[in-house]
Amino acid sequence: MKRRSKAWILVAPLYLVTIVLVFLPLIYIVALSFLKKDVLWGVTNEWTLGNYRQMLDPVYLKTFVDSLKLAFATTVITTLLGYPFGYFMAKLPPRWRNLCMLLVVVPFWTNALIRIYGWMILLRAKGVLNTALMALGILSQPMKILYTYSAVLIGMVYSLLPFMILPVYNSVEKMDWSLVEASRDLGATAIEAFFTVTLKLTLPGVLSGFVLVFVPSIGLFFISDLLGGGKIMLVGNLIKNQLLQARDWPFGAALSVVMMLLTLLIILLYRKITGAKDLEGFF
Amino acid sequence: MKKALSLLLAALLSSMALAGCGTGGTAAPSGSEAASSPASSAAPAETGEEKQLNIFTWDGYFPQDVQDAFTAQTGIQLNFSNFETNEEMLTKLQAANAGDYDVIVVSDYMVEIMNKLGGLLKEIDKSQVPNYENLDPAYLSKFYDPENLYTVPYGPGAPLIVYDPATCPVEIKGYADLWNPALQDSLVLIDSSRVIVGITLKTMGSGFNETDLSVLEQAKAKLMELKPNVRTLSVNNLQDVILSGEASAGFMFTSQVAMALDANPDLKVVYPEEGLGFGIDCLTVAANAPHPNNAFAFLNFLLEPETAASVSSQIYYLCPNTAAQEFLPEAYQNNAAFATPSEMLAEAEFVEDVGTELAAEYEKIWTEFKQQ
Repeated sequence: MKRRSKAWILVAPLYLVTIVLVFLPLIYIVALSFLKKDVLWGVTNEWTLGNYRQMLDPVYLKTFVDSLKLAFATTVITTLLGYPFGYFMAKLPPRWRNLCMLLVVVPFWTNALIRIYGWMILLRAKGVLNTALMALGILSQPMKILYTYSAVLIGMVYSLLPFMILPVYNSVEKMDWSLVEASRDLGATAIEAFFTVTLKLTLPGVLSGFVLVFVPSIGLFFISDLLGGGKIMLVGNLIKNQLLQARDWPFGAALSVVMMLLTLLIILLYRKITGAKDLEGFF
Repeated sequence: MKKALSLLLAALLSSMALAGCGTGGTAAPSGSEAASSPASSAAPAETGEEKQLNIFTWDGYFPQDVQDAFTAQTGIQLNFSNFETNEEMLTKLQAANAGDYDVIVVSDYMVEIMNKLGGLLKEIDKSQVPNYENLDPAYLSKFYDPENLYTVPYGPGAPLIVYDPATCPVEIKGYADLWNPALQDSLVLIDSSRVIVGITLKTMGSGFNETDLSVLEQAKAKLMELKPNVRTLSVNNLQDVILSGEASAGFMFTSQVAMALDANPDLKVVYPEEGLGFGIDCLTVAANAPHPNNAFAFLNFLLEPETAASVSSQIYYLCPNTAAQEFLPEAYQNNAAFATPSEMLAEAEFVEDVGTELAAEYEKIWTEFKQQ
């Protein structure tokens, strides 16, 4: 690629936008997290580490543990569902493959909040699911699914599944199948070939999906608010409450900073394991 | 492929932003000229200002027909900006140097905070708002504005208990009954630390604004016992949870109770025997409002008996306007959610600001409650 001396003019707006909309707010949040809150409103200009120390309180530590647990469960389930889906999608004839891709992506053109309300209608006591199961005689009493942990898990998996399917699909699609043939020629069964060749070659896609699912699932507070009936406290909910209810901006900022560091750690870990610079099929 | 993924992620992020902070205003206020306008004594109809008025409010707080009537009468154009919380409103008002906006809807405790901060609200010029005298004294001279200088009560409400006798196994008389083990997994409650810790304190003979940490500690223990009965916590549309059969009893805001009763008249409303909590959303005028005279004209218009009746019967709050009572529609008057006994109202307790230290304490109890 040729470089021109005036090229920076073309890039400058991009840098400007990044600095103004990403970098400066980030600095603001980090600075805020070291300030003391005012008794009445806002913050004082005294510096403190207290907001971070406050996080060591068992109540808040438990929030982090709960969030990570839910994120982990979500990621495991999306992997179990998303891997076979992505795998078989990549092996479909191109026409069906494109249709399949469309079906995965199209629901996401509707706002996630609205789709979660849809799930509430499906899952509620007199909702679609219970009515159908009772009409079929499978249930005599409506199940209580809405406002439970399971409902939150369903919502999380539903919202994040494409982030697993697409990277897996991507890495299966560009895989060199002659390697699988070679292993079969050398005596491996289909299952052995899958585990020794296919799985290993598509692992970057799975790990990429892992990151893409795990990271947002720590922060999707509205799913636990709506489907969990506000009874499940995740870090995302905690941050929101600190900002909107407790008026404790510095603590909310400190929580956000820790969450960002956590995210960064996961991405660094990913790069370390896979040796890849970027997330598979994303950048 | 890559585009598909980035688009997905963008969609996800934007919906989170939507869920978190709301989408802000429908119309940006014009307010570039935060002028120090002289307090003119012009007639309310002819204010000598440009025909604009910038209103800062929760969404859906001003019925369309009332807006249209005001514009038709005065020619003043109403521009709305919305906020989701008092806290968001204050942040934006401070950023605008108490200008840009004219009429602002502010909740009781926030009026107090704003007055303590100072320089944010403008004194209401009563000579331009003669209809102020239509207001019911029961809603005036409250803690946040003892001399009635800054506020017009607009949306008063007291959260009430409502239950479905068809599915609720017990008769409910007060907050304490919500702890009944027979109600396991069947309550819907307001998702607010101050309100629910508050009713817990009420059952212990204390009040909504307890500041003694040892009492709060006891309240926490008591509150934890309520958890098995809680089906869901929410702020919006609590009535739907009762109406859909998901919960058999609930503690919710006045307007939600009223809507629940409209949809199912068999529901029972309970004015808790321990006493009511109370809140009033007020109309105020920004200290550096660009169109203060238009603002006063609008307040005066809203306080006219017919208008006030129309507003209350549409936004579904109690009607603080004495002169408006006779114009209230029958359906509104017969709704049990609006039949607050006046002696209970007189003793109703506001959720007041307790300072950020204690607010954090209430919030921590709430966090623990949810985690349990």
